[in-house]
Amino acid sequence: MLIKLEDIRRYYKVGTEEVHALNGVSFAVAKGEWVAIIGQSGSGKSTLMNVLGCLDTPTSGRYWLNGKDVSHMTDNELADIRNQEIGFIFQTFQLLPRETALGNVELPLIYRGLGSRDRRERARKALEQVGLGNRMTHRPNELSGGQRQRVAIARALVTEPSLLLADEPTGNLDSATGLEIIALFEQLHRAGHTLCLVTHEPTLAARCPRAIRISDGVIVKDGPGPEVALDGRAERVRAAAGT
Amino acid sequence: MSLRVDLVEGSRIALRTLGVNRLRTALTLTAVGIGVATLLAILGIVQGLNGAFARQLASLGTASLNIARRPYVVTGDWWRYRNRKQITLGQMQMLAQQSRLATAVVPEVNEDSKELRAGDQSVSNVDLVGTLADFQKIWGYEVPAGRFLTEADSDAERQVVVIGSEVAEGLFPGRSALGEAVRIDNRPYRVIGVLAKKGQMLGQSMDLVALIPFKTFLAVYGKRDFQIDVGVEDASQLDRAEDEITGIMRRARSVPPGEPDDFSVNRTQQLAETYQKLTGALYGVAIGVGLITLLVGGIGIMNIMLVSVRERTREIGIRRALGARRRTIVIQFLLEASLVSAVGGAIGTAIGLGAAKIVSLVTSLAAAVQPLTVVGGILFAAMVGLFFGIWPAARAARLDPVEALRYE
Repeated sequence: MLIKLEDIRRYYKVGTEEVHALNGVSFAVAKGEWVAIIGQSGSGKSTLMNVLGCLDTPTSGRYWLNGKDVSHMTDNELADIRNQEIGFIFQTFQLLPRETALGNVELPLIYRGLGSRDRRERARKALEQVGLGNRMTHRPNELSGGQRQRVAIARALVTEPSLLLADEPTGNLDSATGLEIIALFEQLHRAGHTLCLVTHEPTLAARCPRAIRISDGVIVKDGPGPEVALDGRAERVRAAAGT
Repeated sequence: MSLRVDLVEGSRIALRTLGVNRLRTALTLTAVGIGVATLLAILGIVQGLNGAFARQLASLGTASLNIARRPYVVTGDWWRYRNRKQITLGQMQMLAQQSRLATAVVPEVNEDSKELRAGDQSVSNVDLVGTLADFQKIWGYEVPAGRFLTEADSDAERQVVVIGSEVAEGLFPGRSALGEAVRIDNRPYRVIGVLAKKGQMLGQSMDLVALIPFKTFLAVYGKRDFQIDVGVEDASQLDRAEDEITGIMRRARSVPPGEPDDFSVNRTQQLAETYQKLTGALYGVAIGVGLITLLVGGIGIMNIMLVSVRERTREIGIRRALGARRRTIVIQFLLEASLVSAVGGAIGTAIGLGAAKIVSLVTSLAAAVQPLTVVGGILFAAMVGLFFGIWPAARAARLDPVEALRYE
C-alpha cells in the first residue's frame, strides 16, 4: 500500500468550540491507483487533502506514506517528505508570478539540492511531457489557465513523486480546458502514477476508477468512481427535497 | 537540504526581489546609507585628526624625554609644582655621566611670549629657548636654510638665533631671513638658521620659536630654572630610560626613599593622552548621532521586510509546500535584509568618504579613512540589516503552509 490511514482525526479549536474536521478516517490506496476524494465544502476533504499532503499533521491516528510513518514527523522531516514523495496540483495553480515556466518547475528541485544544469534538464523534460515544450520561458501571466495548470502538473511530476495530489485541479478552468487536464491525468494514470484528486464535482469523480465520499469528517462511501459519484447526486436530491 | 543551497538560492531570490521593488529598495537603501555615511564621515575626520596628530608627535621626536619641575600637562594643583626645587646644571651633568641609555643630554631654558623685531616688522608670542646643539637631534628639528646652534656659539655667547618658520615669514615676508638682524628685548641677534615647518599641536603653533645659544641665554636673562632634554636610541627604550633617569635624578636631588619624585619625566606620549581625553567625548557624541541614524535605517528595513513578508505570504506557502524548510525561508529573508543594508552601506561609504574628503579640502582638518573602515562600514551595515531582518524572517518562517497558500 502506498497510502495507509488509520483512524485519522483532526480537531481544530475555533474560539471555545472544537471542530472535528476529520473524525476517524481509515483507508488505503495502492500504488498506481487513481482515487477521487469527493465531498461538499465543509465535509473535511480539504483537511484530508492537507493531511495527505503532509501540510498538516493529524491530531491522532497513523498515516503511512510509501512505508514511512509520517503522522508524528517534525516540521523539517515533513518538508523533506513533501519534496520527495508528493507532487501538488492546486486549484489556483500556485505558481510564482516572477519565475518563468521553467523556473517554476525547477523550484522543487532546488529544495532537493540538485545542480542547476540537472534541474534545467529535468524541468525541460517535465514541461515537454505536459505539452508545453514551446512555452518554457513564458511567465505565468503570459500563459492561459490550462497552460498554467500544465506548468503546475509539470512541477508536480518533475520530482518523480510517489503520490500526485490534486486539489480541485479543474476548478478555475473552463469545461473544455478542464477536460484536457483530466485527459492528462488519465494519461499519467496509465503511465503508472498514483493520483489522488480532491473535488466536489461528481462528474469529475465519476471518471475515476475509485472514489471516496467524505461527509462530516467521516467516509460515507468508498467504491468505483461512477457509483460513488452518483450516490452523492441522489443524496443531494434527497437533501433538496427535505426528506 | 544543505546550508549552501539555502544560501545560494536565498541570495538569488533576494537579488531578484530587490530588482523588482526598485523604488522601495532605493528608499530603504537611502536610510541605511545616510547612517553609514554619517558614521564614516565622522570616523574619517577622527582618523584624519589622529593621523595628523600622530605625525606631529613623531615630528617632535618619539625617542626623547624631558625632565622638568612640572609635567607637560598639569592637572589639579599647579602650585604644587612651583614649590619644587629647581633643576640645576650639576644635576644635568650627573645625569649625562651616569645614564647609560641616554644618547644625548641637553639643557633647555625658556622664556614665553617674546616679541621679535626686524625693521618695522614684529612677531609676538614667540617661545624663546636657550639650548645646545643636540637639542636638534633630540627633538628632530630640520634646518633647511642655514645651520643649527653649536657648542662654540654657546661658549662664545654669540648673539645668534635660529628661528621657526612662522617667525621667519612674519619678520621677513617673501625673502630669506639668513644673515638678517633681529631684536629680542632690544638686543640684536643674527639669524643663522630657519627651522622647517612643524605645524600645530593642540591648537598651538609649533613654529613660533626662536632658539639662542644656552650660555647667551643665561648671560642675558640670568635664569637658572632648567629643563633637561634626553634622547634615547629608539622609542622602545623610553620605559627603561625613564626608570634609569628617575633613579639618577632622585639621587642627584637627594629625594629620600619613600618620598614622591620632586620632578617630572615627560614624554610626547603624554600630549597624545591629553589630546585623546579632549577629543574622545566629542567623537563619542558624533558617533552616537551616526548610530542613531543607522538605527532609524534599521527600523526602516524591518518595516519594509514585514511588508515584504506579508506581500509574499503565498510565495512562502508555495515554497514550503514544495519542500522548503523553515530555515530556508529564514535565510532567504535574512539575506534579503542584509543585502539591502550592505548595498546601502556601500553607497553610504562612498558618500561618507566623499564628505570626509570635502571636509579635508574645505577646512584644515586632514580627513583620512583607512581601507579597513570601508570594509567595516559595509559589513556593519549588513549586520544592521541582519539584525533588523530577524523578526520579519522569523514571522515568515512561522507561517502555516496551509494558511499561507490560502492567503489572498
